[in-house]
Amino acid sequence: MATSQTSAQVPVTVLTGYLGAGKTTLLNRILSEQHGKKYAVIVNEFGELGVDNDLVVNADEEVFEMNNGCICCTVRGDLIRIIEGLMKRKDKFDGILVETTGLADPGPVAQTFFTDDDVKARTRLDAIVTVIDAKHFFGQLEQGSEAEQQVAFADVILLNKTDLVSAEELRKVEDRIRGINRYARIFHTQKSQVELDAILDKGAFDLGRILEFEPDFLHSGHDHHHEDEVRSLSITADRPVDPDRFQKWMGALLQIKGGDIFRSKGILAIDGAPRRYVYQGVHMMMDSAWGTPWKEGETRSSKLVFIGRNLDGDNLQRGFEECLK
Amino acid sequence: MKIDLANPAWQQTLPPARSLATDAPVAACAFNRDGTTVAFALGDGQVRLLPADIKTPPPEAAAPLHKGVVLSLVGDPTSDGFVSGGDDGRVLRIAADGTATELLAQKGKWIEHLVAHKTGAVAASAGKAMFLFRDGEVREFGPHPSTVAGLDFSKDGSRVACAHYGGITVWSLSKDVALPPRRFAWQGSHVALRWSTDGKFIATGTQENDIHVWRVAQATDMRMQGYPAKVKSLSWTADARFLYTSSQPVFTAWPFSGKGPEGKPPLQFGDEGAGLMTVVAAHPVEGFVAGGYDSGELQLGDIRTRRSVVLKMADGAAITCLAWSPDGFKLAVGNDRGDLLTVDLRR
Ligand SMILES: [Zn+2]
Repeated sequence: MATSQTSAQVPVTVLTGYLGAGKTTLLNRILSEQHGKKYAVIVNEFGELGVDNDLVVNADEEVFEMNNGCICCTVRGDLIRIIEGLMKRKDKFDGILVETTGLADPGPVAQTFFTDDDVKARTRLDAIVTVIDAKHFFGQLEQGSEAEQQVAFADVILLNKTDLVSAEELRKVEDRIRGINRYARIFHTQKSQVELDAILDKGAFDLGRILEFEPDFLHSGHDHHHEDEVRSLSITADRPVDPDRFQKWMGALLQIKGGDIFRSKGILAIDGAPRRYVYQGVHMMMDSAWGTPWKEGETRSSKLVFIGRNLDGDNLQRGFEECLK
Repeated sequence: MKIDLANPAWQQTLPPARSLATDAPVAACAFNRDGTTVAFALGDGQVRLLPADIKTPPPEAAAPLHKGVVLSLVGDPTSDGFVSGGDDGRVLRIAADGTATELLAQKGKWIEHLVAHKTGAVAASAGKAMFLFRDGEVREFGPHPSTVAGLDFSKDGSRVACAHYGGITVWSLSKDVALPPRRFAWQGSHVALRWSTDGKFIATGTQENDIHVWRVAQATDMRMQGYPAKVKSLSWTADARFLYTSSQPVFTAWPFSGKGPEGKPPLQFGDEGAGLMTVVAAHPVEGFVAGGYDSGELQLGDIRTRRSVVLKMADGAAITCLAWSPDGFKLAVGNDRGDLLTVDLRR
């Protein structure tokens, strides 16, 4: 596991969502609002972006498979090149926004920020923000796996166009989203209206807050899972973690199940360590760092979150317990 | 006049040099055809032209030629000027007096790579396409399976090889005989490409920290592994006996004479520098080689004596480009802080 520092790294926000969900509206808002920040925006096609001070770069979504023969280990080569090119500019950016096409799997984008050393040195993935069209979400789920994947990968979800559905419909959509990903923060929006502070440079990807709250699953009614359905679960422990055993277990787990695990994240109370150990992964790739120090008298508990298919919670819990002191 | 690293002066003082500070990262540098002018491509759109003679005072900076970053730069093989490419999608021919004419405009594309051949041809990458400029004509080749991430001319200038996902493509440039392009496959992303100075081999650096080399005639290939980082800089010696590679703390040369490098370790020599080499440039005539580090250190090596000397100490600004003057007595150096360095090796 590599340890990455967060200083001087430009935060990157990945914006996903189906065509027409409201990504462009959101981008336009980010670019036109007075916030005194300078962004580089990487889009698939020059759309109707009202850009003045910021920079828009056209990307080609060039995905390539790593040479390890694994189909989940895919990376966006165009992003590597573009970020390298942006760093050659005299002007520096406060943030980078990456917009993906409506049918894109967010995996390769996210994995780019875990894989390439040059990209990792210069940038950090801040959050994956998924915009969802409340009216058309169920229809999009039927059309293929993309809509489900976009929810699974999200750190933040804008549940948009809430004015076009009834309260009952909205509740069903949110239930379905929570069934896939319990850990993303959801904002209800109309015309992508959200406080930009809530979605940009929040360090959502470095977890702190997200793992501290366990969303209660009020109107779940969805405990019956199909095997291949994407869902999320967490496991916890109050005894300190043995770092060597954990690394071995997690390494083996991702090697075997990485294709099914879209996201994994966690906060660990490492035996004898004064700070939290935080990690996050996308499929087989992961990154980790020391987080904030434990406070005096604080309960030192660990928590792991998995979002993916074919997750066996009991098995994961047993495996994790083997890593405890 | 010759360069002799056994001269004790190399151990006592740094060689004479001119350093000009700017505030934009340097992406590329080059000498012009007759070696009288050195140019630097900057991250603010400027191409700075300076006298190669380090004692002649440099002129004032001119207005930016590109909108955005100047990503690529070569000496113009048809004049005493240069050819530049930018992230504004333009290729410019720059005369020795700094005036520019546009050779190509590809909106939304980045001109990331330029190569020149002494027969007068220049090739540029622009997205998935390769453009050839020769005899006042512009021809487009491609599209390739992905954005072209490196390209180079064959020894005689009759072909161009382009690196992309899944391998490389070799184009025959002849207008008389239309030959189909040849594809050499190797999975993954190739991020740098250099054709050997004898025309027999094509080397690429890969996304996965390897070197891949094809024998052009036989279409056989080989892979060299063990680098801690991507090898983005490759340089063949003038006699084609060695391929220098970046991403090591010392000069690292794979032997290509005789049976080739298979089953052999690379030749490594010189004093370990601070950090890893980011750029390596073999001397245009003799057995010297320059290596710039991510720490800012700069070394000059001699493969005949396996010696190296320091030309510049580490200063925290990674070296991003190196270029030799045609006579091999001067070295242009750029870094990511914006220092434009010209070193004179005659002492
Ligand atoms: Zn994989």
